Amino acid sequence: MGITQILFWLLSVMALFSALMVVTNKNPVYSVLWLILAFFAISGHFLMLNAQFLFIVNIIVYAGAIMVLFLFVIMLINLNKEMEPRKNIWIKFAGAVAGGCLLLVLVAALRNSELKGQVAQVKEGNIGLIKNLGMELFSTYVVPFEISSILFISAMVGAVVIGKKE
Amino acid sequence: MNVLIVSAILGVVMLFSGVLLKQTRIVRAIAIIGMAVLLVINILEISGTSFFNIHTYGMMHFDRFALLFNSIVLFSTLVYFILSAKDMEKVGIHYGEYFALIFFIVCGIVLVASFKSLLILFLGVEIISIPLYILTGSDKKNLKSNEASLKYFLMGAFSTGLMLMGIALIYGATGTFNASEMTFPAARPSILPVAGMLLLLFSMAFKVSAAPFHFWTPDVYDGAPTVFTSFMATIVKAAVFIGFIRLFDEAFGSFNAEWQTWIAVITVITLFIGNITAVFQQSVKRMLAYSSIAQAGFMLLAVYAMNTDAKEGILLYTAAYCLATIGIFAVLAKMSDYTFEGFNGMARQQPMIALLTTIFFLSLAGIPLTAGFLAKFYMLKAALGAGGSLWVVIFAVLMAAVSVWYYFRVIQAMYFKDGQATVQVSPFFKWTLAVLAAVVILLGIFPNLLLYWYYF
Repeated sequence: MGITQILFWLLSVMALFSALMVVTNKNPVYSVLWLILAFFAISGHFLMLNAQFLFIVNIIVYAGAIMVLFLFVIMLINLNKEMEPRKNIWIKFAGAVAGGCLLLVLVAALRNSELKGQVAQVKEGNIGLIKNLGMELFSTYVVPFEISSILFISAMVGAVVIGKKE
Repeated sequence: MNVLIVSAILGVVMLFSGVLLKQTRIVRAIAIIGMAVLLVINILEISGTSFFNIHTYGMMHFDRFALLFNSIVLFSTLVYFILSAKDMEKVGIHYGEYFALIFFIVCGIVLVASFKSLLILFLGVEIISIPLYILTGSDKKNLKSNEASLKYFLMGAFSTGLMLMGIALIYGATGTFNASEMTFPAARPSILPVAGMLLLLFSMAFKVSAAPFHFWTPDVYDGAPTVFTSFMATIVKAAVFIGFIRLFDEAFGSFNAEWQTWIAVITVITLFIGNITAVFQQSVKRMLAYSSIAQAGFMLLAVYAMNTDAKEGILLYTAAYCLATIGIFAVLAKMSDYTFEGFNGMARQQPMIALLTTIFFLSLAGIPLTAGFLAKFYMLKAALGAGGSLWVVIFAVLMAAVSVWYYFRVIQAMYFKDGQATVQVSPFFKWTLAVLAAVVILLGIFPNLLLYWYYF
């Protein structure tokens, strides 16, 4: 077992464990902290695939900016035990069954998929380097890239419409 | 491509005119003229004059189907602006921004109607959804509007997540985003693309509010300001249907045995829940929300059949459903009481409005000589022609019969009950509504006026 494999298993266990802790933890602040750990683990996976740009963006945007936003929201709405809505046991049961079905389908899909024999390009893949990514983004994918500006401007307009005092 | 770029520019123009112009009358005029310009340049593109030649690397394809659909959407939106734009003033102070958001939604509709790459589909669906979340919650002082917006946002974000996951699985299976380049091994593809296809199916079914993914629809349509419900329930819903049809025709057409049964099940459930629940509603606005679910069930027959008749039919259905429903909502937005009793005695107070509303309801119910009849006829013909199950067709006809019950309740209230239904309308509004009703009847007699453009 080489160092790459050890790192892979370590990061995978870390990602899965912290993701589980996110959903099982009662305290939302702890959930968010575990989520940060999950993002770091996934960023580590990106790094192992030689996708350095995705690695750094994932840390800056997700683990940094979005998580701070999450923490702010949680602190602003001031969650505590009394405000937590009581859920029906049957709804919990139905949710568990539905989620379990999805898990079953996805696991079945990935277990029998044709990707099973293929190995990820560790270390030698260079599509994730910032130069190649930029070339691809501004040549083949330039139309969707420009179109996404419409998405962002409508989101900004929306933020003003919703947030501005009347 | 004409409409996409000009509509984005017009959205920005509306933003500035909302800030710079104090008179709402002028802002409204700019919006209406802008929409008319969009319609004209789209028709120019149909006849071969494209102002922009942008190499999209095959990610978008402006074929006749997409362009004709764009024309229907732009015409409906133009009519919607003329009839209902004045009512937007009542919602809030951001008058120009509402128009801007609607122009951005039109961009999204163009993307969804003409995508080839799943990336464009995703962007289009998002560009449609995000302004809609805002328009739903634009009545900020109204608690129901806030609730509707939050509900719509959470559920919509969740279904977008499903869609992304589906696209990721399909990309993993085929190695391409391009819908028509996807090759699936053999007749029975492996489980990976099927799982991706199912996730896409569920997220699209959510966006068109097909049962059992419809739970957000009544609350959101009821809570949103009536002017924006009118837009969401008609034009946006039809647009997502076009994306639905294109996706399943081009990307998954090769293994339709895998999904046709699913679509049939969703169609039957949607028709059943939409129609039966609509019968029990007390508010006309909420009844129309359930009726939009029921109509979505009929439109799903096009996805089920997926042949030439289905494509013609969905265009006709879009026109018939959008125009009639926009007309009804335009009248509803002028009323103070949204219950069935609110319509009591309208025939005596406003005979012309009552007559025109009756025509729209007849079209929705699918009575002959209206566009709604032929639209339903095309759908059923397509479903039969595809060698589909006869039971689905029979069930759809039965449910159309049920729909007559709740549509006629409004007509009954208007004509046979005494009351003081008051609608304050201008003569201009009346005559626009009359023209709209004339179009609905004209399409019911000569559907080829529209469908001719699909081929010529």
